[in-house]
Amino acid sequence: MAVNKENVKIHVSHLVKSFGKLEVLKDISNDIYEGEVVVVIGPSGSGKSTFLRCLNRLEDITGGTVVVDGVDITQKKVNINKFRENIGMVFQHFNLFPHMDVLRNVTLAPVDLKKMTKAEAEKRGMELLKRVGLEEKAKVYPPQLSGGQKQRVAIARALAMNPNIMLFDEPTSALDPEMVGEVLQVMKELAADGMTMVVVTHEIGFAREVASRVIFMDGGYIVEEGTPEEIFNHPKEPRTIDFLNKVL
Amino acid sequence: MVKILTVYGPLLLRAMRQTLLLALCGLLFACIIGMVFGLLSVLKNRACNLISTIFVDVIRGVPMIVLAYFIYFGIPYGVNTILGIGGFTLSSLQAGTACLALNCGAYMAEIIRAGIQSVDKGQMEAARSLGLPYWRAMVRVVLPQAIRTMIPSIVNQFIITLKDTSILSVIGFPELVNTAKNVVAKTFMSLQTWAIVAVMYLIVITILSRVAKILERRLNRGRE
Repeated sequence: MAVNKENVKIHVSHLVKSFGKLEVLKDISNDIYEGEVVVVIGPSGSGKSTFLRCLNRLEDITGGTVVVDGVDITQKKVNINKFRENIGMVFQHFNLFPHMDVLRNVTLAPVDLKKMTKAEAEKRGMELLKRVGLEEKAKVYPPQLSGGQKQRVAIARALAMNPNIMLFDEPTSALDPEMVGEVLQVMKELAADGMTMVVVTHEIGFAREVASRVIFMDGGYIVEEGTPEEIFNHPKEPRTIDFLNKVL
Repeated sequence: MVKILTVYGPLLLRAMRQTLLLALCGLLFACIIGMVFGLLSVLKNRACNLISTIFVDVIRGVPMIVLAYFIYFGIPYGVNTILGIGGFTLSSLQAGTACLALNCGAYMAEIIRAGIQSVDKGQMEAARSLGLPYWRAMVRVVLPQAIRTMIPSIVNQFIITLKDTSILSVIGFPELVNTAKNVVAKTFMSLQTWAIVAVMYLIVITILSRVAKILERRLNRGRE
C-alpha cells in the first residue's frame, strides 16, 4: 500500500448535503490521496453513506466543493457520466442486473459506452471474474448466486471500466456471516494492488488490517480521524470512545 | 339462430373485422401515448410529472362515451364554427381511434409508471455509477425489468380496450355491436343475435389472452 501524498485524489471542502430540511452532512472537509484505503465508520444516520454517495454525485450536492482527479464535480457543466467511468461503486445490496448473465453484467458498461469491442470486453470480463474467483459462473444469472458471489460479481463489474477510485457502501452488511470473508478478501487484494478506496463498513477487523486511515463520523460531521491504531486503540473524542465501546 | 348465422353471419364477421381494426388502431396509438406520459411521470421534473398527472386525471375522470361524443361531434363543430374553417369532419374511424387511444393511453401511462417504479432504484443507481447516461440506463437496465412486470396489466388493458370498442357504436362506427343492433332491428331475434355476438367477443378475447400467456412465459424464460 503505497500512499502517494503528492497526489490528492479526492478533495472535499465544506461539503453540505440536505434532504429537504434535514441536514445530513453539515461541514465535511477531507483530502484522500492516491493509494489510500480510507475506512469510514460511524453509527447509522451519521451520514457516512451519504458522504460516499456525494463522491460520485449519486446525491446532488447542496453546498461546498468536491474535486475528484482535478475535476470539480459540483459544477453543473461537468460531464458526470464521463467522470463516473473513473470511479467504481459497490453497493450494500449488490444491485446486479437480474435480466443479464454474470458476464453481461460486467461487460455492459464498457461495450455500451464504446470503451471496448464486445470481444475485448468479454476477455477483460473473464479476467476480472477470474480475479474474483467466479469465472465458472460467467453464464449464470444473478438470482442463482449466493450473496457473497453476487458481491464479488458487483466488484468485477465496477472494475470493468478500469476506474482508479473505488467506493464501497457497506459491501458486507447484507451478507450472511460466512460469506463476509470472501468479499473482504477480494477487497484486500484490490487494496494491495494500490487502488484508492473509500469504504463505508462496520467490519472493524477489516479496517484494522487494511485501512491506511479511519474516519469516524457522527451527526453529519467528521468527529475524528487517524490511523487504525490511533482510532481503535487510542481514540480521543468521547463520541468515538462511546461508539467503539458499543461495537468492539 | 341458424337463419341469423346463414343470412347475417358474413355481415357480423365483417363487423368483427371492423372491431378489430378499430381496436388495433386505438391500441397502437395508445401504446405511444402511454409510453410518452408514463415516462413523463417518472422523470425528475415537476412540470413533466404535472402534465402527465393532469392528462391521466382528465381522461380517467370523463366517461368514454362523453369523450367519444366530444371528439366526433364537438371537435368538428368547434373547428367549423369557432375557428371558421368550413367542412372539417372526422370519420367515425378517426374519432373512434382517437377516443380509444386517449382512453387506453391514460391507463397505459399508469401501468408504465407503476412498472418503472416497481424496479428497485438501486438498479438505476448501479447503471449510472458505471457511467451510463440516464436514458441508456433506462433502456438497458430499467425498462427490460419493468416490462416483465407490466405485461399482465397491459394484456388486461388490451382486452378492456377491445371490449370498449362497443361503446363507439354510438358514433356510428360499423363495429360489431352497431351491426348487431341493425340485425336485431330487422329480424327481432334479439336473444339469438346477442348470444352470437357475445360468443364472437368471447372467442377473440380468449385467443388474445392465450397468446399473451405464451408471450409472458417466453419473456420470463431464463429468469429464475
